[in-house]
Amino acid sequence: MIEAQALSKRYGAKAAVDAVSFTVHPGKVTGFLGPNGAGKSTTMRMIMGLDNPSGGRVTVNGRPYAQHRAPLREVGALLDAKAVHTKRSAYNHLRAMAATHGIPDSRVREVIELTGLGSVAKKRVGGFSLGMGQRLGIAAALLGDPHTVILDEPVNGLDPEGVQWVRHLAKGLASEGRTVFLSSHLMSEMALTADHLIVIGRGRIIADAPIQSIIDGQGKARVRVRVDRPQDLLGSLAGEGVTSQVLEPELVEITGVEPRRIAEIALRERVLVYELTPLQVSLEDAYMQLTQTEVEYQSHDLPLTPATPDVQQVPAHMEGR
Amino acid sequence: MATSTSQAPAQQRARQEQLSGVTFGRVLKSEWIKVTTVPSTVILIVTTIVVMVGIAALLAWQTTFLFDAQSNPDMAAQMQAQGAPDAAEISRDIPGSGLIFGQLLMASLAVVLIASEWGTGMIRSTMVAVPNRTSALLAKQLIMAAVSFLVGAGSALIGYVIAQPILDTAELGFSLDADGALLHIINTGSVLALVSVFAMSVGTLIRNTAGGVVTSIGVLLVLPILVAIFGGGTEWVADAARFLPSSGGEQMVATTIQDGDLNQWQGSLVLGGWALVLLAASLLVTKKRDI
Repeated sequence: MIEAQALSKRYGAKAAVDAVSFTVHPGKVTGFLGPNGAGKSTTMRMIMGLDNPSGGRVTVNGRPYAQHRAPLREVGALLDAKAVHTKRSAYNHLRAMAATHGIPDSRVREVIELTGLGSVAKKRVGGFSLGMGQRLGIAAALLGDPHTVILDEPVNGLDPEGVQWVRHLAKGLASEGRTVFLSSHLMSEMALTADHLIVIGRGRIIADAPIQSIIDGQGKARVRVRVDRPQDLLGSLAGEGVTSQVLEPELVEITGVEPRRIAEIALRERVLVYELTPLQVSLEDAYMQLTQTEVEYQSHDLPLTPATPDVQQVPAHMEGR
Repeated sequence: MATSTSQAPAQQRARQEQLSGVTFGRVLKSEWIKVTTVPSTVILIVTTIVVMVGIAALLAWQTTFLFDAQSNPDMAAQMQAQGAPDAAEISRDIPGSGLIFGQLLMASLAVVLIASEWGTGMIRSTMVAVPNRTSALLAKQLIMAAVSFLVGAGSALIGYVIAQPILDTAELGFSLDADGALLHIINTGSVLALVSVFAMSVGTLIRNTAGGVVTSIGVLLVLPILVAIFGGGTEWVADAARFLPSSGGEQMVATTIQDGDLNQWQGSLVLGGWALVLLAASLLVTKKRDI
């Protein structure tokens, strides 16, 4: 269980994390999703007691991390794949970390096997690939058999097999009743792994909900329609606050109105509709909609055109995401 | 650390957790593993011993020539007029004569041990495992200080043993219970220990290997040279220079104390004071700052 209350981190005038409050519950995988620079890593470093909050507080299993007698037994974290001395072997790195808690060497060998590092454990970490570095970081996180596992971008640099392994691992740990908190900027990965999602953008929590409700809540109805006279149909729909995109001469995608309403208007306008397909909104769409404004502050080299009331002029490339 | 298997699982788990807390002893063990599992550390320690013993042997050999020269009354008078020291006096300083090089190497090692943790990111692993931070730093300091003491005192002792047969050829040999001889050997270790605390504290404050090495070597070895060159004529500079860390170290290993100079114990207060102040600053700053 991780609880953050009005947690803030300011660097000068800039707030990297701005009074966020959230709770990460045991027994499920909670995804921490946000664009690069949104404050994910800073939040995780504050949870692990590496950065001091500028305001608010965060506790793990009821206490600030630093106040636990055996912190590695409470929380295991992969914060940064490069948190290892490059000239030391993976085995010795884990041994040194284990020694602080009196964790026996047998457990060190166990996590080495578990993470598939057996063949390279005695080699210097400096020669490791990004993926092997990630595996070593995960091995270190699991060393104390902790109740809470925090993984910052765990699939970074992993091959497909490794990605799948992390996914199974996260789900497996959660099914054992542990708290699993993992960050990513890849929504597709979250869709497959997480049960619950906390979305952060520019240091603020944008959404905190079960993954399905985020998909449902953000997704306005989107419908694919094949129609013989699209312009007539769209013209009649224009007053209903919809957006649309013409994909082919007779194929349009209409967002913001229920399929039944489209059928009613088609009937009234006497246009021929020969396909009417409600589309499932992907997490990716939901994410882009949630974070769009947050991202736009960061990189936009084109001046923003004022939003026109005429919905049909929404550029296709914006909507397509 | 072995847990009994006959206990009930819940009990066993509770017991295991109790056993698995962070203790200073465990942090010491962890830091010991860290020091001994980076090859460069071991190489640097061996190099320091070889260099210090080598210098002692060379100086012993050279001193025999000085002794030969001084056995000739004409030469002796001439040399005395030039202010050359007495061979017997020099010979007492032989065991720890490589101290300058020892300081250079062990101060560098002390900086490297802590600053490389920041350089590689290892510090995050360290401070996650030992989140109160102070005990991790103290354990590292203690291990480095102990290693430095053993390297310094050990090298001086080996230097003494190797120098004796060489010195004996010129009737310069002396026993360990000779005036100040044993203290000189022990304090060669003490100086290295305090210098490594000083340097590691600087490294902790600066968090950068190159910057830490330059700063600590600068204060320990370059500053006294600058003071000697530019402050020679000014009385207050010369007076203040006695309280430089390097001057404190020099007095600690001195076998003869000139009038008005600090004695060995006062010297250790000077060097120890510097080391302690910087250590306290490094602990405070590390506690407050983000990692």
